[in-house]
Amino acid sequence: MHQSGFSPKARWDMHIPEDSDSAGEEFLNQRIDCLVLFKSGKIYPQRFTCHNKEYEIKTINYNWQERRGQEVINFFSVSTGTDAYQISFNNTSFGWRLDKVL
Amino acid sequence: MILHIDMDAFFASIEQAINPRLKGKPLIVGSRGNKMRTVVCAASYEAKRLGIGSGMSSKEALRICPSLEFVSAEQGKYIWTSEQIFAMLEGFGFPLNYTSIDEFQMDIGAHPEPLKLAEDLQKQIYANFNITASIGIAKNWLLAKTASKVKKPNGVTLITNANLKEVLSRTPLGKVCGMAGKTGAILSTRGMQTAWDLYLKMPEFFEENPGKFNEEPEKPKSIGHSYTLPRPLENPMVIQAWIRLLSEMVGERLRHRNISTKTIHLWLNGPEIGNFGAQKTFALATSDSFEIYSRSLKIASQVPQKRPKIRALGVTASQLIPQEGLSLFLKQNQREGLIKALDRINSRFGDGSIYPAQVDLTRRVK
Repeated sequence: MHQSGFSPKARWDMHIPEDSDSAGEEFLNQRIDCLVLFKSGKIYPQRFTCHNKEYEIKTINYNWQERRGQEVINFFSVSTGTDAYQISFNNTSFGWRLDKVL
Repeated sequence: MILHIDMDAFFASIEQAINPRLKGKPLIVGSRGNKMRTVVCAASYEAKRLGIGSGMSSKEALRICPSLEFVSAEQGKYIWTSEQIFAMLEGFGFPLNYTSIDEFQMDIGAHPEPLKLAEDLQKQIYANFNITASIGIAKNWLLAKTASKVKKPNGVTLITNANLKEVLSRTPLGKVCGMAGKTGAILSTRGMQTAWDLYLKMPEFFEENPGKFNEEPEKPKSIGHSYTLPRPLENPMVIQAWIRLLSEMVGERLRHRNISTKTIHLWLNGPEIGNFGAQKTFALATSDSFEIYSRSLKIASQVPQKRPKIRALGVTASQLIPQEGLSLFLKQNQREGLIKALDRINSRFGDGSIYPAQVDLTRRVK
């Protein structure tokens, strides 16, 4: 891979404190249960349960991955029809979290 | 032929793809600090139509559009998306280059249907990432890059010898790579308003840029990082922690390229000191982040005020030379071994996985 002027290694921005007012997002960081389809090496969350309430995922808007130390976190922006949420899957602990309401 | 892919409002488009509520709204992406005290890193096309652009202060942007949406930048997801797009483009089987996080160049040779190929690329990018790209195609990289800016967003422009005059005549000079700043301003005072005016005066500028494929990466003249704090800070421990973090980032990039620096430049900005910048050249070259930090502190000691408030700061390394072999001194060799071990950990688990405890102080102050 030839690169000029851009280093994918420059990921130090994790040290910069985040403004909690970003686009009116509400940070939750709750552990959740998630029903998931693993297909062709990809992860498709189908529905999740938070505080005994079940949310059916209608659309996966976007997904991306981040490495945090030894752990790889898969993030998903999902829509339940009325609301959108960011949920994440930890490849090491196999745990799901509801990160924030978008 | 070269095909230049330029992602449209990359960071802002990713944020709109992630959060459907932001689609169709004026949006800016700024630093993770306070939204009133940062600069616009990227603006959505809805914001651009209102006159908001990259580099503008967020305060000014919010004055223009009080209902403007603000999202804190998260490099991780932009870099990940960029890498995924690169991997997808590699699948087309043509030589491929990164030119920046949101621009890619493909050498498509004498492809019989370049426009169809460009449209296929756009479709695949949109299907996979829900974001758009503008594409320029021409005989060399400079013309291809210029062409990518002609129809934005989501456009395709092919420059051939037949339409060269027509396309360049309606392209403002500032859209040509390298002409957006002072050079362009000087040339426009000499009557050059469009890319075609420049072509008539300096055809070789457009003709002699065949592309950058398979070239060794250019040796940089300097490597630096700077940061604007959420508000002016006075605590010297916190300011030193920021200098340490910036030194770590500079040192990591030097070591990644196997180069060392002899000259360190420190820049500080604050309400009392204004812009303070000084540099010092040392006899021994280094790529050790702690050494860069120590040298930066020596420069910082030249600031006349005690405990000045600091709003922004930057550390830059210049006079870059190839890294030397083993030192004659055991202690230094041990230190180099330690740095290599830390770099290996960060390389394996992601940058910032292991870092000096001092850096943690940067997180404590908002």
